[in-house]
Amino acid sequence: MMDNKTFLIAGIIVALLIGGVAVFMASGDPDGLESTALVVQGQKDLTGATPLDAEIHEEEAGRFAYSAPMPDYSLGESLGSTGGLVAIIVGTILAFLVVFGLAYGLKKASKPVK
Amino acid sequence: MHIPDAFIPIWQGAIYWIIALVFVALALRWARNEMNEEKLPLVAVLAAGIFALQSFNLPVSMGTSGHLVGGALAAIILGSPFAAVFILSLVLIVQGVLFGDGGITTMGANIINMGVIGGFVGFYSFKGLMGVTKSMPISGFVAAWLACLIPALACAVEMYFAGTFPLTEGLVAMGIYHAIIGVIEGFVTVAAIYLITSVRPDLVDTGVKTPAGAQVP
Repeated sequence: MMDNKTFLIAGIIVALLIGGVAVFMASGDPDGLESTALVVQGQKDLTGATPLDAEIHEEEAGRFAYSAPMPDYSLGESLGSTGGLVAIIVGTILAFLVVFGLAYGLKKASKPVK
Repeated sequence: MHIPDAFIPIWQGAIYWIIALVFVALALRWARNEMNEEKLPLVAVLAAGIFALQSFNLPVSMGTSGHLVGGALAAIILGSPFAAVFILSLVLIVQGVLFGDGGITTMGANIINMGVIGGFVGFYSFKGLMGVTKSMPISGFVAAWLACLIPALACAVEMYFAGTFPLTEGLVAMGIYHAIIGVIEGFVTVAAIYLITSVRPDLVDTGVKTPAGAQVP
């Protein structure tokens, strides 16, 4: 049986490998929700391919807007897949640290008998 | 199915946030009661894995791509739907704040769909199916498929309330796309349960004690 430390390291490596492969192999097609938006807006057939110039019309009035530091898991066009790789690695490690940190903190806060 | 800010009016987003926070609070209580030296690495590794899997958009034909959600996986492996709420909420915060994947005002709705609905549907359908079929692969596959499809349908209904999609058209399109994405979700979920059960059977908390799913006598 794998000990905790090995499991942890193996798990992170697997996650990073998945993320790394994703940067190069992920499909550029819109996801299910975006595709549905294009369908209801009459820009795409339900079962057809997505036209290259299809663009989702977004309601802006009265909606919140936020600019993320690394939109779409990228550091901008100029950095290409290197930027994508950096974004995915940062995100994967951060997801790990946030969950580990909070779970660890909650464990500490709970009664030591458990 | 990460809903962007533009798809839901702010006041509706606030309602989803309030509902989501109730479940997040319960998930924090779950983590406080259940966390121990053994589970801590598993929870954190699942978070990293789910983040990575969600960034991987796989082509599902019809000009559409889809990625894994992971709610069923987290809930099944850790033996509680609140495990899914805990992990998915934090993953969604990282995705929304850092990468603009899913909005800020819509994060509550995204937590409800993928964490709460995904986690509860995945967990309870797995439990029910295990009782009937005694087979981890069958139960895991169907549970993960449902945990992808039903949140997508919930999302379509939310889009209808928001005035973004018409009801029927939204349900049909969201349903069809996620029924296909769910098949991939099913295969990957079963593979991940198998893998984790193989290396650390002691950590898996659903009565599945061998990779094939049979109970150890």
